[in-house]
Amino acid sequence: MRLIAILQTDCPTCRLITPYLNALGGSVSAISQDGEDATREFVQQMDIRFPVERDAGFEISKKFDVVTVPTLYVIDDQDRVVREEPGFDKTALNEIAAMLGQGPVTSPYDGAPSSKPGCSSRHLEVHTEDAAAEALDLHSKRGREASVIEVDDDAVEYCYRVFGDALPVVPPTVERVEAMLAGLDRREVIARIPPCYGEATVEKIAANAVMAGCEPKMMRVLIPLMRAVADERFNAHGVQATTHFAAPLIVVNGPVRGELGFHYRQNLFSNVARANSTLGRALQLVLLNIGGARPTGIDMSALGNPGKFSYCIAENEEENPWEPLHAEEGLTREQSAVTLFAAEAPHGVSEHKSRTARGVLKAIAYSLATVWSYRACLGFEAMVVLCPEHVRTIHRDGFSKKDLREFLFQNTGIPLRCYEEPGEGVEQRTMYKEIFIDGERCYQKFRTPESIKIVVAGGTAGKFSAVLGSWSTGPRGSQMVTYPV
Amino acid sequence: MRIVNPMSESFIDAARAAPRLTTIEGKTIALLDISKPGGSVFLDRLEARLRTEHGVAQVIREMKPTFAKPAPAEILQRIRGADAVIEALAD
Repeated sequence: MRLIAILQTDCPTCRLITPYLNALGGSVSAISQDGEDATREFVQQMDIRFPVERDAGFEISKKFDVVTVPTLYVIDDQDRVVREEPGFDKTALNEIAAMLGQGPVTSPYDGAPSSKPGCSSRHLEVHTEDAAAEALDLHSKRGREASVIEVDDDAVEYCYRVFGDALPVVPPTVERVEAMLAGLDRREVIARIPPCYGEATVEKIAANAVMAGCEPKMMRVLIPLMRAVADERFNAHGVQATTHFAAPLIVVNGPVRGELGFHYRQNLFSNVARANSTLGRALQLVLLNIGGARPTGIDMSALGNPGKFSYCIAENEEENPWEPLHAEEGLTREQSAVTLFAAEAPHGVSEHKSRTARGVLKAIAYSLATVWSYRACLGFEAMVVLCPEHVRTIHRDGFSKKDLREFLFQNTGIPLRCYEEPGEGVEQRTMYKEIFIDGERCYQKFRTPESIKIVVAGGTAGKFSAVLGSWSTGPRGSQMVTYPV
Repeated sequence: MRIVNPMSESFIDAARAAPRLTTIEGKTIALLDISKPGGSVFLDRLEARLRTEHGVAQVIREMKPTFAKPAPAEILQRIRGADAVIEALAD
C-alpha cells in the first residue's frame, strides 16, 4: 500500500497537508504541478521529506483525472487506486494512515481546521503556464531562529518602548529565554498569529512569555494556547482587528490550575495571581508582537477592553456541582484545558434578595438581555460566570446545568413593544423568534441554549455573578475553542 | 544586554501600492462591499456617480460573505483585473 499526493506549490490547502504527509513517512510520494524552481523552493520551505516529482505537461494529472489539489491516491500492490481523497480532511487522513498501517497523524487540537477544500487542478485552469504564483508560507513547521538585539542603554526602557503593552516588561535576555526552552525545539512554528500571521516559534513565544513575567513551567500552557488562538474557528483575525470591545478571555480548567497556581476564587478577574496575570499578558504580548495588531494600528477597537492587559481566569471546579466548562466541550474532567472566548468586559449581576434558583436566574436573564445592545438578538453569545453563593441557591433547587441554561435561554428576551423606534436590531427582527416570557410577547435573545456559556468561579462570599457579552459569533464570527493542555 | 527579538521577523511584506491613476475615465473600478449594513447604499450611489459623472468604463460589484473575516480568494480573483478598488466599510 502506498500513497501518491498531487500538489501545487502555491495552494494553501496543499501547504496545510504537507506536514501530515511528512508524518505518514516512507510510503508517500508526491507529484508537483509546478515548475522546477517553485517545486524546489516548496520542498525546502515546507521541509518535505518524501520524494516529489514534477508533472511535466500534466501527463500524470490527466491520467489520474485529478480535479482538485491536493488529491491523495491510496494505491495497492497491484497498482490499483483503492481510495481517492480530494482536499484536506483530518478524519480521512487518519483513515488513510490506518490503511498504511500507521497510527493517527491528525489531532482535533493541533490548531488546523478539521477540513479545508483544495484548489482546482492546474491543468483545468484557463492559463496553464508552468509557473506558480508567489506563495504565502502559512504552513511550514520550521521557522527562522530569532535575531538577538544588543541593547546598550536601559534594557527595561528599550523593551517597554519597542515591545511593550504600555507597561514595563522583563527584558527577554538570551539567558532568560533559554531557561524557558528546556527540552523544546526553539525553531518549531507552533502557530501563525493573525492578523499579520507572524510565525510563533517556540523561541518567540518564550521571549514574549519572559516579558510578561511567566515562569518557565508556563510553556506547557502557552503552546496549546497559541494553537487555540490561531484556530480558524476562533477567528483571531477578526477579534484583533474589530472596532468592537472584544478581547480573548482565557478560561483555565483541570489539574493545571493547582499545578501552576491559577487562581479561581475571590478576585479572579483581578490582579490576584502570577499565573493568571502573566499567562493573560503573555497572550496579549504575542498578539501584539507576533500577530501585529497594535492598539495604535490594526487593532481598531473604539473603546478597547481592560482585558487587553491580561484576561485570564480559572474555573472554581471545587464549588461547581455540575460539569466544568472543558468537560462540556468534550474533554475529561481530569484533563487540563484552556478555552478562548472573545469577550467584552464583565458586567456585574448583584442579587442578594432572591432565595430561589428562579429568582437568581431571572436577575441574570435581565442582564443577559442587554448584551451587545438591548434590542439586538441572535448574532452573539454570552458567558455567565456564576459565583459560588448563587450556585448553591440554584443547585439546592434541583437545577442541573442543562436546566439552568435552558431556563436562561427561555427567559432572556426583549419585549416587542421596545421595537417601535428605529435602532440596533430593529431592522433584523424579521429573523427573530417570538416567545412569551411571563405572559409578554418577546423576541428570544439567543440563538440556542448553547449560546450561553456557563462557568463557576469566584469567592465563596458575596452574591455577585457576571455576564460577559461576546463578539459576533458563529461561522462568520468568532467561536469559542477549548484545547487540552 | 543581549535580548531575543520577541517580534515577528516573518511578516509578509506589505504589497507596494499600485501606481496611482491620473484619471478614472475609461477605467474599470471594482466596488467591494464588506457586507456591513448600509455599505450597499453608499456603493449604489457611488456607482451611479462613477458612471454618469466620471465616465468610468466598467464597474465590478463584489461582496464579502462576512465583514468579520478576510475576503475569500475567489472574490479577490474576480476583482483582480480592475484598475482601482473602492472598499465600503460602513455601519
